[in-house]
Amino acid sequence: MNACAGAFAVSCTRESSMGAETLQRERQLNQFLADVERRALRIAEIGVRDRDEALDLVQDAMIKLARNYSDRPHDEWTPLFYRILQNGVRDWHRRQKVRNRVMVWFGRATPGEDEYDVVQQAPDPAGRTPDELLANTEAMQRLEGAVHALPGRQREAFMLRTFEGLDVAGTAVAMGCSEGSVKTHYSRAIHTLREKLGDHWQ
Amino acid sequence: MNEPTDKTTKSEQQFADKARELFDDSVERLDAATLSRLNRGRHVALEELHRSRPTAVWLRWLPATGVAAAAVVTVMVMRGPNGIDIPVEQEAAADFEILLEGESLEMLEELEFYSWLEAADLEVNGNVG
Repeated sequence: MNACAGAFAVSCTRESSMGAETLQRERQLNQFLADVERRALRIAEIGVRDRDEALDLVQDAMIKLARNYSDRPHDEWTPLFYRILQNGVRDWHRRQKVRNRVMVWFGRATPGEDEYDVVQQAPDPAGRTPDELLANTEAMQRLEGAVHALPGRQREAFMLRTFEGLDVAGTAVAMGCSEGSVKTHYSRAIHTLREKLGDHWQ
Repeated sequence: MNEPTDKTTKSEQQFADKARELFDDSVERLDAATLSRLNRGRHVALEELHRSRPTAVWLRWLPATGVAAAAVVTVMVMRGPNGIDIPVEQEAAADFEILLEGESLEMLEELEFYSWLEAADLEVNGNVG
């Protein structure tokens, strides 16, 4: 009887400990995702030029990270999360190409990129003069257009390094390539962007 | 903020800093409806922690089976078509070494990652999307 009660107590303790671990993991993951989600959304949005699609991609990435990698060390979460997100963006482009071919066949093309309006997508903020706001919006609009026009791998390297602030090693994990490739893609991206946007942009 | 490296000049770093500043500004200006959708998405993701992990059994064996397959191919090539021992060139032996060392294990883990992504895509599309 005592042995039985003891075994029950041990089992309860283990379950309660596992519950506490899950709760702690949930809190940590919640904090991580809350920290990263807005930047991830804008990065995905620049990649696909559609906010709704970007929201879906970010949600998918969050679900996959929680489902498969939540038990990995926290410092691995950022590159893993972006790796999943970038895979999602690449898949989205592949699907889009197929869809466009089908639409052209039926005589209905998808809306052109020119119809995407960054100003409309980013309504205002508080506390700045309309002139400052307009200048920032226009500069960002030009930057977004130029970043979007980069080859896919260069775009990924630039956004992960510059916008998300990942180091070379983290970017390499997120892109699934070597650190040397990251440096090359990033350097080419910066060169192309500076050339395209011109010195006056700075 | 990234520090300038040997490959990035000061002016390139200034360019990157300016781009980062504009990007951060656009992040701060996300509207309430978008933030609300992000918040909802995050909570859907957190619910995954309370579900069991759906790793396919065969995926766990993928790296091991890959190494085994590489070993079988090695033996087959070294033995020749009718079980006759043939001399293996030094370069070929080096190729097999490369095949069996860490690099190819990493490649197999990549395969595992992509296989998992494909499986996870199917599940997300089926359960959530």
